[in-house]
Formats: sequence, structure tokens, C-alpha cells
Amino acid sequence: MNARWRLVLLGLACLVLVPCAVSAIRAMPDFGADIAAYGARINAIAPAERHVANMVSAINFDIRGLDTLGEEFMLLAAITGTVVLLRGSRGEAITDRAARLPGRPVLPRAEVVVLACRIAGPITALFGTYVVLHATVTPGGGFQGGVILASATLLIYLGEGYAGWRDSVRSRWLDAMEGGGALLFVLCGLAPMLVGAAFMENVLPLGTFRDLFSGGLMLVENLGVAAAVTGGFTQLFLEFMEETREPDQSDDPKGENA
Amino acid sequence: MPDWFSLSWIPSAVLPPLPVALPLAMCAALLATAHLLPGRWPDILASLTALAVAALCSLIAVRAADAPLVYWFGGWTPRAGMPLGIGFSVDAASGWVAAFIGTLFAASFVFAWGFFEETHGHFQILMLLFLAAMVGFVFTRDLFNLFVWFEVMSVAAFALTAYHLDESALAGALNFTVTNSLAGFLMLGGIGLIYARAGTLDFEELARAVARAGRDPVTAGAFCLVATALMIKAAVVPFQFWLADAHAVAPSPVSVIFSGAMVSLGLFGLAKLTAVVFTGSDQVRGAVSLFMIGAGSATALVGGWMAVLQRHLKRLLAFSTISHAGIMLLGIGALSQGGTGGLLLYLVGHGLVKGALFMVAGILLATRAGIDEIALRGLGRGIEPAGIAMALGGLLLCGLPLGLLDQGTRILQGALLDGGHPFAVAATVVGAGLTGAAVLRAAGRIFLGLGPDPGNEAQAPSEAEREKANRPLWLMLAPCLVLLALNVAAPEEAVARLASEAVPAFMHRGGGLGRGPSWLPWLSLALTLVIAAFALGRHKLPRWFSRPVRATQSGPTRLLEQVHSGLIGDYVTWMTIGLAILAGLLATS
Repeated sequence: MNARWRLVLLGLACLVLVPCAVSAIRAMPDFGADIAAYGARINAIAPAERHVANMVSAINFDIRGLDTLGEEFMLLAAITGTVVLLRGSRGEAITDRAARLPGRPVLPRAEVVVLACRIAGPITALFGTYVVLHATVTPGGGFQGGVILASATLLIYLGEGYAGWRDSVRSRWLDAMEGGGALLFVLCGLAPMLVGAAFMENVLPLGTFRDLFSGGLMLVENLGVAAAVTGGFTQLFLEFMEETREPDQSDDPKGENA
Repeated sequence: MPDWFSLSWIPSAVLPPLPVALPLAMCAALLATAHLLPGRWPDILASLTALAVAALCSLIAVRAADAPLVYWFGGWTPRAGMPLGIGFSVDAASGWVAAFIGTLFAASFVFAWGFFEETHGHFQILMLLFLAAMVGFVFTRDLFNLFVWFEVMSVAAFALTAYHLDESALAGALNFTVTNSLAGFLMLGGIGLIYARAGTLDFEELARAVARAGRDPVTAGAFCLVATALMIKAAVVPFQFWLADAHAVAPSPVSVIFSGAMVSLGLFGLAKLTAVVFTGSDQVRGAVSLFMIGAGSATALVGGWMAVLQRHLKRLLAFSTISHAGIMLLGIGALSQGGTGGLLLYLVGHGLVKGALFMVAGILLATRAGIDEIALRGLGRGIEPAGIAMALGGLLLCGLPLGLLDQGTRILQGALLDGGHPFAVAATVVGAGLTGAAVLRAAGRIFLGLGPDPGNEAQAPSEAEREKANRPLWLMLAPCLVLLALNVAAPEEAVARLASEAVPAFMHRGGGLGRGPSWLPWLSLALTLVIAAFALGRHKLPRWFSRPVRATQSGPTRLLEQVHSGLIGDYVTWMTIGLAILAGLLATS
């Protein structure tokens, strides 16, 4: 089928689809017409029964926590799949030695870059930790904080160079962090069953409303997610970085000595 | 201690989350520790986990015989009739389907023993995630949760497809990723629409809202999008194109799961949503009947025809899966107890047989380093047990009156006849007959050396393929034979009794299961034998007989082959057309 035929057929399909879509959209409830009863109910329940100020966290980690467990493992599947495919083409042997691409010069970092990264790195990590810990009070949580923490490790690369980055970040630690964090999240579901509660029922002390330590089990779950996301994203950065250093077969063999 | 063995010390109330949580916990633990584990430990742990899931699901199914097990996560039971959290609702049929999935995974792990040893357990991790997602998909009673498990399944499957990393594997995985991601978008859109109308995601509450809404473009639109997403997963014509590309290139142990469970789960989800959520809308029921009967018949015929045309064994099996998915879709279109009950039995029976056949293909890839039917002619000598398994699989596919698949076929055909769809019944006979013929022809050529000497044709047009041959034949053959035995040995009386109780619970509606005429399966069997014999003995037939046959089939065949172009743009165009047809039917019904 060539492009013209494809467009003709698509056009014919749209002749049917567009009127159907229009009629469905016109029949939707008007914008802002009614506040969903579910939202009102959650707004009442989360502060009263879970002592939590961040409703999004209350839904994600408690009321609909199973969805988030699924999402966490979807992320794990995506990262594991990426690692399998990238390593598969490079060979499975993983070393903690930084690969060097023959012929590519190693540019020394300017001092100002090194200094900026050494200042910004710890601050970024601190901010990431803050976002993780305040999951139940302010916007944020394990996913967001985990990504910030992972990007803090990239500042090591920027400041210290690739070899320095690989020296401070070990692939196996990352696997352990990712798997361990995800395992912690599952165990947060299973552990309450040991005391006769439901899967992922919030059985820990709930703390005080608007306090850092509020929300009980949600805090532990967030720590698990943060560890998993930090480990997973850093692993992803590492694999993609290695990918850019794959020696190209077609390269001039003389490059080896350069 | 009879009490201990009857497992009555395990309370039913704690069971439903365990078959999902157990594989998730195991895969997280494997990821954290795989590099420390010696040799075969990932294989052992994964197999044991799958077996445990199968056992737990069987126990759940037994416990759910009287009433579905309902479980509210986080202890959020509905308040004043409003569900707050996510629930699982496991009826006996869903429990048995999940138990079947666990069994299929256990067989696949044994089949893949040592196959993926260099990947630090990553293969097992992805497969366990796949398993957990499938069980969650089967158990859930929440539409968004269904979507989450649908997506986890897809993400795990994309990476598993591309595992071999050669050109065809990457192309197949890319087609799979694009089409199934589109399915994800459509489903999310549909969920948004129905949430705007109903304000809830719980199946029971949604059903009430749908019944209240009556004739309504919003619920019809939601059904259109969600059903299309599930039919993309189930590879129904015209959404089927990705399947043959993906299933043919995935490693054999993965293809076992893809064809045996993943495709039919799309239909399982569709059957559940049609029977539980959208049953109150006459508009949806009318369109379902028309579309599913039409598309199902077309799928059964196109899949069967394409299967006969293939010489790449896994591609052949992939097209036969499409054909059987079409037959199962007809069960939904019948809109009756018999249709859905037949579909559920067919799903399990077909999964067992197709899983076994993909294992035979894997055995050929490992021991004979080839997958091309013509190139493998006569090379099956020395592994005859695999040939017997393949022939038996082919006969069961086309309707040998034996076992679970046959029982499902007859109930399904009975429901279609009762519903007044004789053409659909003919499609099931011809579709199943064609796929069986394709498998038998290949088995005859490979294991008995039948058919003409290929000469120059022996060179396979596809790239050379092989899989690692690091395990003994019996270890690969054992799970294959176990799957076939499970299908053949299923006790008919007990299954019939179970189905007559489980199907009304699944559909939330009473009714009996009819039976089609018992001569119909023999008809498909006869058709199969004739076609297979013709394909293998064509060169010995007189010219005046074989030439008209060739002349009449070559035109449509070329057209069909052109349509399966391998181009994503084409695939998306066909999908849009399918979506438009369903939308048009919904608008006018």
C-alpha cells in the first residue's frame, strides 16, 4: 500500500470517526458542571482517617495503592527490558571499568564546571531527599524525588568525568537498590496481612496531620519507590552512556593507537 | 491429618492478592540478588513461583465455587455503596483461567531451562512480571487497574520479543510496540469517557451507570475504544497484523506464553467487560453481536488461510493463533451462556495445545537449527516423539473430538447455531480445519519426509535462525507432552459440571450450556486431512486436477500476502478502519 492509498483509507475512516467523536464529546457532562462525588469523599477521608495533607499521595499510596504497585513494576519492566536489549547487543559481560572509545579525546573539565557540580550535586541530592520525605505533606513523593536523586548522580559525571562517575556508581549496587526498593514496596503490601489486615492496609501509627511523619505506611512505601526509581534511572543512564562508547566495527583500526 | 491436606486452615479471605504479590516479590528479589545466585537458581525459583501461583489460583477457584471471592485492597471496603479503593472479584472461571496461566508459565520455565543463563536472571524477572500482570488482569474488578495490568503485560512483552536482537526481531518488536501502545492510548481514552459519565471505575457500579444511561454516545464511545484496545491485543481482523511479526521472532519459550495466554487474555477481558459492565446497554449489545460475528468469522478464515501459506513454522503457528482468536471472538458475539462458556474452555484448551506446538518449534530450532518447513524436510528423523506431539497438536487444533479444546468447540458451535449464525459455524469449521492442515502438512514434511524434493527451493527466504541447544531433548519434550496430556485428559463430565456452575457466576446471569452437533468436529477433521494430503501430494496429482486449484487460489493469496506488508503505517491504517467500522455500528444500532 503506498502513501496515497493509506491517506484515502484514513480519510474514509475519519468520515465515520469524526462525527462519532463529535457526538460523544457533545454528550459529555459540561466542563465543571458537577464535582465528582468521589473527589469530595477523598478530600474528607484523607485528612481525617490518614492524617495526610497531600491527597494525590493518599490516593496513590493508600486508597489506590495497588495501581501504584503496578506502575512501579511497569517501570521496573521497562528498565529491565532496556538493560537486556542494550547489553544483549554489547555482550553480557558487565565490568565496573569505564569503557574507553579509542580515538575519542578525554577533554579535561574546566575548574569552574567541577566546582559548580561539586556544589550543585549534594544540593540536588538533598532536595531529592526532601521531596521523597515530604510525600504526604507537600507535592512530591518517591517517583519525583527518585528521579531528582538519579539526576544528582549525573552531576558526578559532569564534574568528575566518565571514569570518575563509573568509579562512584556500581551497576550491581543499582540492581540491588532497584530490586530492593521494589521488594520493600511489595512487602509493605504483604506485611499488614501478617497481623490480619488487608493487603497494603495502613496499620502503622498515622502521626499528626501536616507533620513530616504523617501517613504511616505511605512513608515506607515512598522510601521503597524512591530507592527503586533512583537505582533504576541511574542504571538506565549508565547503560545508555556505555552504549555511546561502543567501539564501532567499521572504525579505522589506526584509531586504536591514537 | 485430613484437615491439613484439605487446606481448610488457609482462610479464603487472604487468598486473592497472593498470586499477584508472590511473583512480584520474587522478581524484585531476583533483580536485587541475581548476580549472587549460582547457575540454575533463577530457573528453579521462577519455576517454583509459577507452580505456586498455579496452586494458589486453583485453590481460589475451588473456594469461589459458591460465590466469588471479593477482596478490597488497603481495607477500603465500599462506603454507602460507593467503592473507594480497588477490588478483586474472583469467580471460579477467572480462578481456573489464572491457574491455567500459572501452569503454562511453569511449563515454559522448564522448557527454557538454562536457555537464558547469561542474562543474570533478567529473562525470569520479565517473565514473572508478565505472569503477575496476567493474574491481576484476570482478577481485577476495577477498570483502571485492568489498564495498569494490561500495560505491565505489554511492557514486559515488548522487551521479551526483541530478545534475539537480529533485524527481524527488532522489526517485529517495533511493530508490536507501536500497535499495542496505540491500544493503550485507546483504552485510556475509553476509561476517561466512561469515568466522565459514571464517576466510578468499579465494574459493578459501572454496570449500574451504563444501564441508567440507556442510549448514550459517551458510554458507546467508551466501549468502542476499550473494546478496540482489547481486540488489538487479541489480534482480531483488521487489528491482527502485529501478531505474526512478533510471535514469529520472539524466543520459543516466550512465544508459548504469547500465543497460549496473552492473545486470548484480550478476549477474556472483552468477554468480562461485555458480560459484566456493558450488558445493560442494548446499543452495545446490538453492535457487539454484529461486529464480533463478522470480525470473528473473517479472522478465523484469514488466519487459517495465511497459516496454510507459511513455510516459517513459528509464523505458521502465529497465524493459526489469529484464526483461533477469531473463533473465540465468535463466542463473545453469540451473547449467550454457551458462547462465553465455550470461549472459556476453548481459551484453556487452545492455550495448552498451542503452547505445546510452539515448544515443538523450539525443539526444532534447538536440535535441527532451523525453522523453515521446506529446509527441514525429512530432518525430523531421530526426534520422532516431537513429531508425534506435533501431529497430535495439529489434530487437536482442527477438532479431533478429544479433550478440552473439543469440548469448548462444541459448546461454542452449539451457541452459534442457537443464536442463528450458521455462517459463523461454517467459519469455525473451515478456520480450524485450515490451521490443523497447515500443522499436519508441516509435521508430515519434517518428520516423514513427505512432499516433493525441494531442490533449490530448500534455501529458506528468511534469515538463518537457531536457538541454543544446551539441554537434553527429554527436558524440552516433557513440558510439551504435559500440556498436551492436560488438554486430552481433562475429565469431560467434571469439566461440564464445573462450567455449568462457573459460567453463570462469570456472566452474572443464569442459563444453560448447549452442545453443537457431534458430527461438526469430524467435518473439520476431514477437511484438514484432505488439505494436508493435497499439499503434500500435489506433485503426484494429474495436471488437469491441480492446475485449476492453483489458478483459483493464487489471486486472493497474493492479495492477502500484499496486505501483510510489515509496514507500521499500513497496520495503523487498517486499525483505524476497524475502529471506524465498530464506531459506525455502535452509532447506528
